[in-house]
Amino acid sequence: MEARRQRDPAFSEVPAPPSVAASGPAFPCIVLDRVSLRFQSERRRVQALSDISLSIAEGEFVALLGPTGCGKSSLLRLVSDLLAPTAGTIAVRGEPAAAARRLNQFGFVFQEPALLSWRTTLGNVQLPLEVVGYPPEKRIARCEELLDSVGLLKFKDAYPHELSGGMKQRAAMVRALAWNPSILLMDEPFTALDELTRGQLQDDLLQLWNHERKTILFVTHNISEAIYLADRIVVMSPHPGRIKTVLRPDLPRPRTDDFHETQEFMKWTRMAREALRS
Amino acid sequence: MSDAAPTIQNRLRDEILPPLIILALALGFWELSVKILDIPPWLLPAPSDVVDRFFKTTTLWYHTGLTVLEALAGFAVSAVLGVSLSAGIVHSRFLERGVFPYVIVSNAIPIIAIIPLLTIWFGFGIAPKIMICSIISFFPIVTNTTRGLKATDRRIIEFMRSINATRLEILLKVQLPSALPFIFASFKIAASLALVGAVVAEFYSSDRGLGYLIITSATQLRTDLLFVAIVVLAALGVSSFMLFGYLERVTTRGERSDETQ
Repeated sequence: MEARRQRDPAFSEVPAPPSVAASGPAFPCIVLDRVSLRFQSERRRVQALSDISLSIAEGEFVALLGPTGCGKSSLLRLVSDLLAPTAGTIAVRGEPAAAARRLNQFGFVFQEPALLSWRTTLGNVQLPLEVVGYPPEKRIARCEELLDSVGLLKFKDAYPHELSGGMKQRAAMVRALAWNPSILLMDEPFTALDELTRGQLQDDLLQLWNHERKTILFVTHNISEAIYLADRIVVMSPHPGRIKTVLRPDLPRPRTDDFHETQEFMKWTRMAREALRS
Repeated sequence: MSDAAPTIQNRLRDEILPPLIILALALGFWELSVKILDIPPWLLPAPSDVVDRFFKTTTLWYHTGLTVLEALAGFAVSAVLGVSLSAGIVHSRFLERGVFPYVIVSNAIPIIAIIPLLTIWFGFGIAPKIMICSIISFFPIVTNTTRGLKATDRRIIEFMRSINATRLEILLKVQLPSALPFIFASFKIAASLALVGAVVAEFYSSDRGLGYLIITSATQLRTDLLFVAIVVLAALGVSSFMLFGYLERVTTRGERSDETQ
């Protein structure tokens, strides 16, 4: 088994866990150590993730880049303790993921806004505050402040069906930040949006991230989105999902729209594409 | 909501008036036919005779009240038990597998067949009637509510779990509100079934209630009174249908309005 793994070219490219940890800053926020995930369906066993080792620093913006079926979304659910790994361990600030979940450390954003249709924008953003026990008298002020920062304050009394796709996704983003969790988990949050709106939301996200420095795990299959947003890009391959390579573009911030035309951006896009293809 | 919303006058003209005109025409035709063809009242009473009987039957409201009470009590029991059971089924695989077959069995047994049994056990009073109403309305409530609770957006539940929400919080804040349209749709069906249950139970063993009124007026060929009972039953059914239909519409407003924009 071990010998076969050594000969596997994809595997040999995976950086060993210690080197990843060593290359990150001193305070790892999330550490995955040889994590595997198998789904047992009635007919067959599906190896969703195989031997994932990754260390994410406090305040780092990490993109998980890969094609459909490479287990990127499952990885987010493992980190947030919605799924349990079949093998390996996950630590969030030295504690098991379940402990971090109990402390409401995770803000989750999905591809669909997943808002409650019977609640207004303000009501939707308030939902997590009711659950995590945020002081009631501060709830509305906190929500309005966040809604204002993404230009949704005017629409605080609107219902989801009265909002555009971009507005809904902004509301979902604000909902995941409302109680100020330290880790933001984003599962292809902008995939369903049109090009222009996506650009705006990317900038909104970077601005929010600038404001309240979060650790962000951002799943995407869009190469330029990954390079535009992230500090580090984890390139994954499917069947079973594993880490192919880790890119660290280290490009200057703040990034604006013309960032897309820079030489550096092109170079890293090419590298990411090659990494995905190889 | 929007400025295109119909005014009361417009709704009156567009939605209420047409069926009223048709009704008036039908009643007029009926009245004339009875008078012209000289149909005996025990065969077909004229609408005016039925209206006359309606106002003359002083015990009508007593019978109606009793039937409504039975139907309402049975329906209420089913609503509470049914929605609770659905919540349990959604949260426990064991309950789902263990109980659901019997929910289906409860629907498969013809209700008429149980009435004599319940009469043996509980007598001729109001209790067995309430039970019949409750049994007959149970199935649609449980199946629809379960379906509604299960139809909740999986991602919202994941979101709630990721912030460590309890099952009760998820049920009360997410699943139940999103199942409300399904629940009211099932109430719409269940309420009319409960009414049918009450009347059928009264057919078999009762000396009061609308079911009793129907049976006795039929055997005595008091057809006008029979019509009165039928009209009252129809009115009750329509009102409960409209009430729950309205609640169903109000609770689905969010999802539906995409088409109206």
